[in-house]
Amino acid sequence: MKTSKALVFDIKRFAVHDGQGLRTTVFFKGCPLRCKWCQNPEGLSAKRRPIYFEKSCIHCRRCEQSSYENQMIYENNRPYFHLDYQGDFDNLVKCCPSTAIRYDSEEYDIEELIEKIKEDKIFFRDNGGVTFSGGEPLMQGEFLVEILKRCKEEGIHTAIETTMFASLELIKKILPYLDLIYIDLKVFDEKKHEEFTNISSKMIKEHIKYILESVYKDKVIIRTPLIPSMTATDDNITSIAKFLVSIDSEVKYELLNYNPLASSKYELVDLEYGVDKQYKMFTQKQMQHFYDIVYSTGLKNLIIE
Amino acid sequence: MDNLQQTQRIHILKEKMLNSPRYASIEQARIITHVYQQNENLSIPKKRALSLKTALEELEISVEKEELIVGNRTKGVRYGVVFPESGCSWVNKEFETLPTRPQDQFLVKEEDIEEFRKEIYPYWQGKSMEDIIKKNYGQEINAMAKVVKINQKDHAQGHICPDSALWLKLGPSGLIEKAKRKLETCPKDQREFYECVILVLEGTQNFMKRYSYHIMNMIDNVEKEYQRGLKEVADNCMNLSQRPPQSFYEAVQSLWFLFVILHMESNASSFSPGRMDQYLYPYYQKDIASGVLTKQKALEILECLWLKFNQIVYLRNQNSAKYFAGFPIGFNIAIGGIDENGEDIYNDLSLLCLKAQYDLGLPQPNLSVRLNKNSSHELMQEAIKVVAKGSGMPQFFNDEAIVNTMIEDLGIEEKDARNYAIVGCVELTTHGNNLGWSDAAMFNLNKALELTLNNGKCLLTNQQIGLGLGSLETYETFSDLENAFQKQVDYFIDEMMKAEVVVEKAHQDCLPTAFLSTVIDDCIEKGLDVTKGGAKYNLSGIQMIQVANLADSLAAIKQLVYDENMISKHELLEALKNDFKGYEIIQTMLLNKVPKYGNDVKWVDDLGAKWAGYFREKMKDYTNYRGGPYHTGMYTVSAHVPMGENVGASPDGRNALTPLADGGMSPVYGRDMAGPTAVLKSVSRMKDSFTTNGGLLNMKFLPEFFETKTGMMKFENFLRAFVDLEIPHIQFNVVRREDLLDAKIHPENHKSLTIRVAGYTAYFVELAGKLQDEIIERTAYEDI
Repeated sequence: MKTSKALVFDIKRFAVHDGQGLRTTVFFKGCPLRCKWCQNPEGLSAKRRPIYFEKSCIHCRRCEQSSYENQMIYENNRPYFHLDYQGDFDNLVKCCPSTAIRYDSEEYDIEELIEKIKEDKIFFRDNGGVTFSGGEPLMQGEFLVEILKRCKEEGIHTAIETTMFASLELIKKILPYLDLIYIDLKVFDEKKHEEFTNISSKMIKEHIKYILESVYKDKVIIRTPLIPSMTATDDNITSIAKFLVSIDSEVKYELLNYNPLASSKYELVDLEYGVDKQYKMFTQKQMQHFYDIVYSTGLKNLIIE
Repeated sequence: MDNLQQTQRIHILKEKMLNSPRYASIEQARIITHVYQQNENLSIPKKRALSLKTALEELEISVEKEELIVGNRTKGVRYGVVFPESGCSWVNKEFETLPTRPQDQFLVKEEDIEEFRKEIYPYWQGKSMEDIIKKNYGQEINAMAKVVKINQKDHAQGHICPDSALWLKLGPSGLIEKAKRKLETCPKDQREFYECVILVLEGTQNFMKRYSYHIMNMIDNVEKEYQRGLKEVADNCMNLSQRPPQSFYEAVQSLWFLFVILHMESNASSFSPGRMDQYLYPYYQKDIASGVLTKQKALEILECLWLKFNQIVYLRNQNSAKYFAGFPIGFNIAIGGIDENGEDIYNDLSLLCLKAQYDLGLPQPNLSVRLNKNSSHELMQEAIKVVAKGSGMPQFFNDEAIVNTMIEDLGIEEKDARNYAIVGCVELTTHGNNLGWSDAAMFNLNKALELTLNNGKCLLTNQQIGLGLGSLETYETFSDLENAFQKQVDYFIDEMMKAEVVVEKAHQDCLPTAFLSTVIDDCIEKGLDVTKGGAKYNLSGIQMIQVANLADSLAAIKQLVYDENMISKHELLEALKNDFKGYEIIQTMLLNKVPKYGNDVKWVDDLGAKWAGYFREKMKDYTNYRGGPYHTGMYTVSAHVPMGENVGASPDGRNALTPLADGGMSPVYGRDMAGPTAVLKSVSRMKDSFTTNGGLLNMKFLPEFFETKTGMMKFENFLRAFVDLEIPHIQFNVVRREDLLDAKIHPENHKSLTIRVAGYTAYFVELAGKLQDEIIERTAYEDI
């Protein structure tokens, strides 16, 4: 029995930053982690919700006129949605002339999504292709397996950005259909991982070990986002690198510099950004310090852009 | 190429050029007027030939001691030339304002204005081509002006790629011999043509000699270090007056003389050198092999030529300067591409041309790279390095889109189609054998739609200028509306074609061009001037303005009015009549609730393609005055601004008088929300037959794209997909700090501008002000 639909909060064509070639990145909605630094906070919740873009709004109050009871209130010159409202918000989305009110995500079935991905197939050369990201794509695992199969049938290069926080059974199912696997390992210490992301890193580490010992190991790049005072500590980087070397010193590893601008999306989703505003990007020198730590563990394939 | 240097000589010459004041010059006008006055009994072709010869022999000339390549049509650089034969009533009106007008200013001398008004202008009244067209058809041309702008009414036809290879092979001496042989045996009615040809070529030889004498006169007064170089230049000029070039250096000098004289004869815009890397290569190869030339020297010579390309500018009237801002004169050079056998070719010279552009970064030449499925990685990467500099050059053309379409849709022979070149900005032509009459007219499809919606009446003035076929309120179905639109378009096409005949005839009568005819095949063979149809190919290109707005307008009407009933017919028409004042919600819906061209939404793109296709097919019903076919182009350059000033509020949500989409094939700026790949997909729905006269696609990229090798490789991926999608043209601007600053102030104009914020990319205008500032700060280093 196929899972029929997936909830997708963005499909970004012409993605050029993760993976080879030109790519289309599909952002699956919903994530089991709650990283304090999350760059895509709109992808955390697994529900489809209306959102409001103040910058697009012309304050015509049409939403107020067409709203049903208990759907929203209009205050401070803007709508506030009652997210526990039982029905849909189609009437509000439809009546808004400026698209200031939109859904934060759309449902796709396999055929719709594969058609969407294929729109840019002519650009997928030199190992360009599709990247499944999120949220956590594995949260919609059955759909993911199906769409990966379809992509391979179409000859499309496939990549994933994941934490591997899912059942090993599911992971085993998707591995054969992936050409490139980015796995985030944020914090080695299980307790601290839980503190910063709401879940322990125990299962993540087990799954990384499993994959790095499998035939799929060459397709893997492990990544750690450097978040000041959270992941970017000498201790953490040392532990992660040692852990990786203990499995295979040839493993590809990448450190992602902190980017403070990530906080700008939080207003939209009404969430708090969990990193202190004072922190800036790491300098070249500071980055080098982390690189040196990694090298000192004997890890050979550190990826530096 | 990386180890080659821009020399000090080039640096000095560039500074001198940029710092010299730019004047309007009446010197040639004076000479032409005298010759006409003293030879009233001669025919116009003879008078024209004689006045060119006299100008070649009498115009003041100058040489800079650092120059390796010499020649200009005025003593100073970047002078605007007043040219009376084609028309100068506008000069009479605008002479005083030339130094202060908003676009493309020139200094003027008081005594010149006086002489012009007393001695020159009075003689030409009623005689110039402009006046003749005005007298014969001025009223009709004015009546259609808001829908159809008829071009080439007051200047000679340019946008021509001469047969430079032939010029280099024969030189003026060889061409004179050829003409003399023809003269001996030709029928009587062709004699005058050959006599004119011989006159102008003799003038050409004298022009070259004068440079040699001029240099020899100045040589003792310059520092010793320059004397040897100048002597060589003087020898080149003398040699070229007597025989064809034998070295690369001579060939480049010869080529430049050709273009100076073409501009002197016609004062037209855009005579383009075309495939220079191909026809100069034998000279280069020979000299490199024999050791008389090094790559570094070749680069210096090319860079001197590059500077020369910037020294001839075109004086346009105020209105025309608005359409073509920034003196574009279009020395278009096309490098790379396939050869006569269909094989991809490029060579050292192709790369040196890119290097010269990289070093100088000046507006001219207009450098183009021809791409195809087999284009080399090396050429593409070198070209991308130049793109990264942000000058908008080189632009890219697509052999896969162009060659076969030229063959199939225009009946051009395979070898000529494979050898196509570009003239001016983006106009396509065969090499050396075509009078393409690019941009014969601009047809404003959006104005035609406006008239269709409003019973033939202009929304801006309420004047009846089109057919009264009904209005939006009376068309019951969308297809009723489309039927009325078709009739409106047909009507104006017919009006346009009548005017075209008048204009072309006036060119034949007033502006025969003997010199140009020597380098356009088969004029000499046929004994026929190029304006009379002497060329092998005789095309005329009409521009369709602007399919992007048209598609968006039709899509909005179809979806919101006819399909979904979200807006009533009455409401929409009233909103348009009131330029959306009091109808802001409707305007917002038009802008936001319907997909737009440029987002890979097939049904919207297809609406545009349908009407462009209709228009293109319609061209087949007509033949131009030289007996050749009409075809179409989609390239407005900067005309989207004034063309927009003719159009009232439009159903795509655009306000009255504001610009239309830029480029020609580009989406309306800011409406392409799905990224560059979606733009290419949309544009690829425009058939290549719509743009056989040229298409123009503008795109903006962020500078960060070009910072890494991986980024440049991905850019190549993008370009290769562009080739596969068979889009004829693309050019890239790099987003700069000013763009971001403007986006902050005018977010409505930059809705599609995306910026990589952190791990994600966002629409710049949707970011908070403070964050915008941070990003602007980050981009600051690009602003150098």
